[in-house]
Amino acid sequence: MSEQINMTADMDDNDKAQRQLERLQATVNRACKNVPFHRNRIQETGLSDITGLEDIEKLPFMDRTHLATHYPYGLFAVPLKDIVRIHTAPGSGTSPSISGYTKTDLMIWEKMVAGAYAEANVTDRDIILVHLPPGLANWARDYKDGGEAIGAGVIPNAPLSVAKTLMVLRDYKVTTLVSTPAFARHLTAHMFDRECHPNELNLKQIILVGEPDDGHTVTELRESLHVDVWLNYGLSEIPGPAIAYECRYHHGLHMNDDHILPEIIDPSTGRPVPTGEKGELVLTTLSARAFPLIRFRTGDMAKFFPQACPCGATSTRIEWLAEQADNYMLISGIRVSQAQVKENLKNALKMPGIRCTMEKECRAGTDMLLISLIMDDHLFSDEIKHLQQLITYAEETLTEQNGIKVKIRLIQQRV
Amino acid sequence: MLKIKNLRCCYGNIAVVHTVSLSVRQGELISIIGANGAGKSTLLAAVCGLLKNWSGEIEFKGRPLNGMSAPAIVRQGISMVPEGRQIFSPLSVMDNLKMGAYTRFKKDGKSRVAEDLDMVLQMFPILKERAGQLAGTLSGGEQQMLAIGRALMARPTLLVLDEPSMGLAPKIVEMIFSTIQDLSHSGVTILLVEQNARAALKIADRGYVLETGKMVLQGSADELLVDDDVKRAYLGKDYGDFLDERNQ
Repeated sequence: MSEQINMTADMDDNDKAQRQLERLQATVNRACKNVPFHRNRIQETGLSDITGLEDIEKLPFMDRTHLATHYPYGLFAVPLKDIVRIHTAPGSGTSPSISGYTKTDLMIWEKMVAGAYAEANVTDRDIILVHLPPGLANWARDYKDGGEAIGAGVIPNAPLSVAKTLMVLRDYKVTTLVSTPAFARHLTAHMFDRECHPNELNLKQIILVGEPDDGHTVTELRESLHVDVWLNYGLSEIPGPAIAYECRYHHGLHMNDDHILPEIIDPSTGRPVPTGEKGELVLTTLSARAFPLIRFRTGDMAKFFPQACPCGATSTRIEWLAEQADNYMLISGIRVSQAQVKENLKNALKMPGIRCTMEKECRAGTDMLLISLIMDDHLFSDEIKHLQQLITYAEETLTEQNGIKVKIRLIQQRV
Repeated sequence: MLKIKNLRCCYGNIAVVHTVSLSVRQGELISIIGANGAGKSTLLAAVCGLLKNWSGEIEFKGRPLNGMSAPAIVRQGISMVPEGRQIFSPLSVMDNLKMGAYTRFKKDGKSRVAEDLDMVLQMFPILKERAGQLAGTLSGGEQQMLAIGRALMARPTLLVLDEPSMGLAPKIVEMIFSTIQDLSHSGVTILLVEQNARAALKIADRGYVLETGKMVLQGSADELLVDDDVKRAYLGKDYGDFLDERNQ
């Protein structure tokens, strides 16, 4: 009766394309019927029906500005009474981002996350600790549900200090940690500071989410903790985690492409790039009921692997690159719009204009946004206390608005 | 096993099935559900060669069915249990069953047909009891069993059933669905069209939902069983106000 987790993983290319076409047609039919935004835009293209997967290129793109424009319920494809969960995240604009889930949607996400766990060899004999920052609270819930679905013992997300997290890892005999790269690095450093040896832990695997590998974190964690490390890809706002996951060969991430159809495009032209070349990852949901996404531009850069994976699965594989296609920064899985931050900072400081630069910085296991603000005549005050209060207020406001920690550093104007 | 791509079916100039794609893999039990007039039976008629006015691709075991007659399609291995049974009322139960093997006598010979007849009569003992009785005098449930038995006599690799629960008492429906499930477990691939969404999905592996000739949903049976859209499709209701009673 029940369907396997990734149905298309063992199908040949023809069968997979057939299943994806069936789902794409149903998604577009449903979206056109129930969401005026999709109906109007698709009608404008003059496309009467989707007759092949290649027709997707004729459909218009969606991006984060559409989510903000149709806030809160304008992109929902089912009546509100069918919605059983509403996820909300800080969003990259002035309004929070929102997505809804029906019972069926939750079942599908649970299967997808359970599938990613299964690929990481997590079974009902494992104990999972989910430790994610507040901005990824939605994912924490999904990783809890997916873990419970495979019968593992799950310790849900809780705001614990790094010392207590280490105690939980050791004393509760945790075998699997779900975390961001920044926290995993911090935890490892703390462990060695406390002279805690990896042998004292039962940890077998770490599932890293939120950011691609920076080229050394995965190797360092593997070597220092003697664990296997698995990358999972997802979107923090919508629709969720485990959109792509690593198999035992750790050679790219397998897309859950019976539920999500990926494309890689040239961000400047919107045209698909040849297989193997890097571009912006664009996603179309194939089974989402409540909140269908059609050609959603993720802002993440990736490239397709042209060859089949040695694991035998035929699902599309991507290499997730540590770059962004747009004016966004990815900080612990949360996408931050630099333009929006600048605007919000200007408002918080009540200044007509500001000059600043932004970068990601990691402090005590937490990735944060560091803003270097150029001190000018408007901002300058001979009362240090007043200036300090103003900066603290701006930091708190931006932290609250973006769901990640924000620090502001004042720098001197170069003459 | 069966692959349908971009199927469009028309009665005259009126299209009733619009660019529909679906697939059935070997050994699967697939349900197509939807309200009256959604296009379910028309889709089956196209698959079984009973409707000529269609375009798109229908492929069975890798061979296109375009232009094939209904008997040729039966010879390919697709056998249909039609809506309303459509048994031969003036003929006996036994003759009805033999008619099901009409296309096989020359190819397979009488002895293999006789073996299958034994198998069908073992599966439906009531038909053995009523072997000499005129089919038109059977009860609705017995007629449905006869229609299924007749279809099985063609030794199908894909059994297609159109509304097998129609006009039957709930208890009989339960029995018929249990028989369909047994057939599925014995390895027969099944494509089932039903208005009784819940009953059909309970025994299915996967399902498709048709609404006014368009496919609007598909997925595993357990996913569809909890889906509110399925209830609406089954009841033939449309979406009301988006901000519905929850917000009132």
